[in-house]
Amino acid sequence: MDLAQRLRRQELVVVTGKGGVGKTTVSLALGSLLAAHGRRVVVLETDPRESLHQLADTAPSGGEIVRAGPRLSIQNVQPRSVLEELVHERVRIAALARRIVASPIFENFAAGAPGLKELAVLVHARRLVHGKRRRGDVVVLDAPATGHGVSLLAAPQLVTEVIGRGPVGEMAQELAALVADPERCAVVIVTLAEEMAVQEAIELIALLRQRVARRPDLVLVNGLYPPLPDRPPAPPPGAGGAMELWAARRAANERELERLGAAWKGARVELPLVPIERSPALVAALRSLLVGEGA
Amino acid sequence: MSFGLLDRRLLVVVGAGGVGKTTLAAALGLASARGGTATLVMTFDPSLRLKDALGVGAEAQAHETRVAVDAPAPLHVSLLDARATFDALVRRYAPDDAAATRIFENRFYRHLAGTLAGVLEYMAVERLFEVARDPRFARVILDTPPTRQALDFLEAPERITGFLDSGALRFARREWFDAEGRLKVTRLGPLGRGLAAWLDRLVGLDLLRDMVEFFQAFGPLYDGFHERATEVRRLLRGRQTGFLLVAGPGEERIPDTLFFARRLRDAGHDLRLIVVNQTHPQLPAGVVTPGLSLMAWLGERDRRGLDALGRLLGPGDPSASLPLLPETPTGLPALEALGHLLLERLPPAPRRK
Repeated sequence: MDLAQRLRRQELVVVTGKGGVGKTTVSLALGSLLAAHGRRVVVLETDPRESLHQLADTAPSGGEIVRAGPRLSIQNVQPRSVLEELVHERVRIAALARRIVASPIFENFAAGAPGLKELAVLVHARRLVHGKRRRGDVVVLDAPATGHGVSLLAAPQLVTEVIGRGPVGEMAQELAALVADPERCAVVIVTLAEEMAVQEAIELIALLRQRVARRPDLVLVNGLYPPLPDRPPAPPPGAGGAMELWAARRAANERELERLGAAWKGARVELPLVPIERSPALVAALRSLLVGEGA
Repeated sequence: MSFGLLDRRLLVVVGAGGVGKTTLAAALGLASARGGTATLVMTFDPSLRLKDALGVGAEAQAHETRVAVDAPAPLHVSLLDARATFDALVRRYAPDDAAATRIFENRFYRHLAGTLAGVLEYMAVERLFEVARDPRFARVILDTPPTRQALDFLEAPERITGFLDSGALRFARREWFDAEGRLKVTRLGPLGRGLAAWLDRLVGLDLLRDMVEFFQAFGPLYDGFHERATEVRRLLRGRQTGFLLVAGPGEERIPDTLFFARRLRDAGHDLRLIVVNQTHPQLPAGVVTPGLSLMAWLGERDRRGLDALGRLLGPGDPSASLPLLPETPTGLPALEALGHLLLERLPPAPRRK
């Protein structure tokens, strides 16, 4: 069973991991792979500084859904604007809704209430694949960096514990069920084979078990230095340092892969460091590397 | 060795995730103590090996821990943990044990303190206030969470004072519930009953009761918090405070770096230096053998990044670069060597008009 098959049914794929490990690039590569297998895909970015559009070679999303290829769209979504939209839906009187949204109490509640922003992102993601305004079959969510990534997945449960009933409570219950269900929601952890990143990945796996009672579907190790050639060429004058650096970095990668392997026995994909700038070409390269992986 | 343009009483190390901020903060701390300055390194999330190397564990969450290093001045390390700091704060300020227990058992508090959003930053401000006036430390090096959160972190004092001034708290601290825990509907004006029913349907009155109880239990802390946040706000912009921005190599990181530099300046902070960290060495021209093509590409990529950044930065923006090391330094000698390497590479301080 390869990656595309493994993720063929889920309606939400949450891509998470430490900052700087290439989550956004991997999210788009995954989305594009699923689109090539016939699913209609929306890749969602939550970072207020948009960069997904550069990788998808489109105009900036600015909150809108932008077409990025056959069956593939991208969108940058801000929790704050989803929350405002929800207030407008609940409070039918437009003037009153505007006043609520502009009030300092809403401002502080939106910024500070535990789980609310995360919940809003999930609400939005679910709406993209369900109901009247459905825009696709699956959402690939480029989640905020770890810590926050777990908060995102744990948010529905957290909110149900605090708000047990009413429309907000019901919405949270629905989402908690979605996130807990491996048939509908997949979790992909992206990491580098470096000490801190692997440490966070291991902690993240434990936190997922603890707080959402589930395991990731896949751990994807990005940016590996390739193994040295069997018979390494004698380094030309002046290049010995680079050769040593390569050997040391590869050795560190292998050590960390082993540590990860001891903590995680499930599905794992390894992607090499590819000599291509962060660009649509890099996404295409990673996508072709992903084909047939994840078995 | 001289700290040159980084010679500030409070040095704040900022930058995106994974660029080596924590390692650099520790390295500079070590070099500082070796140079005879009593130093404290405050950090959030050091790797296990770095904690081992410094010889600090969970106890550093509770108080500053001295690092066993042979130096003319002491080096201390403290780890910031939101939950532990928050709990300690409650214990310190609660009028009695029963009041503290009430807060600890409050549903709202448990969830609020459990989710890191914002709380870590508030607590860091609290700790920063304490150590900034601690005479034991002649230099404080503050490591921060990765970029986005670092911005949150720097803006935390503003957010706290904004929140405290917004009236939201005064609103929440009114006596909304009577002794039996029923909402006093008369407080909501003529629409009282209807509004209460609407609120109950929407989120449940239990939650509101918990929130109000939480804010009331926290009552005694408000004024002090306001004062401290204002003080830290001033401290972060003071003459004795400087910022060190650590960036990753490669052209693709430049927009991030420039964005962050601009945000710092706009907010009135003194950005002393940009360090491009973890750069790959450039191979001599014309020696590209097949086996080394990836390393050649990486060296080339990082050189282009440095060149482009150099062109975009003005003469008033000092920058330096550090090489990618074969191993992340975790032992004390390797850390100290890294600290000294950075100090050696410091450009002269620019003349300010």
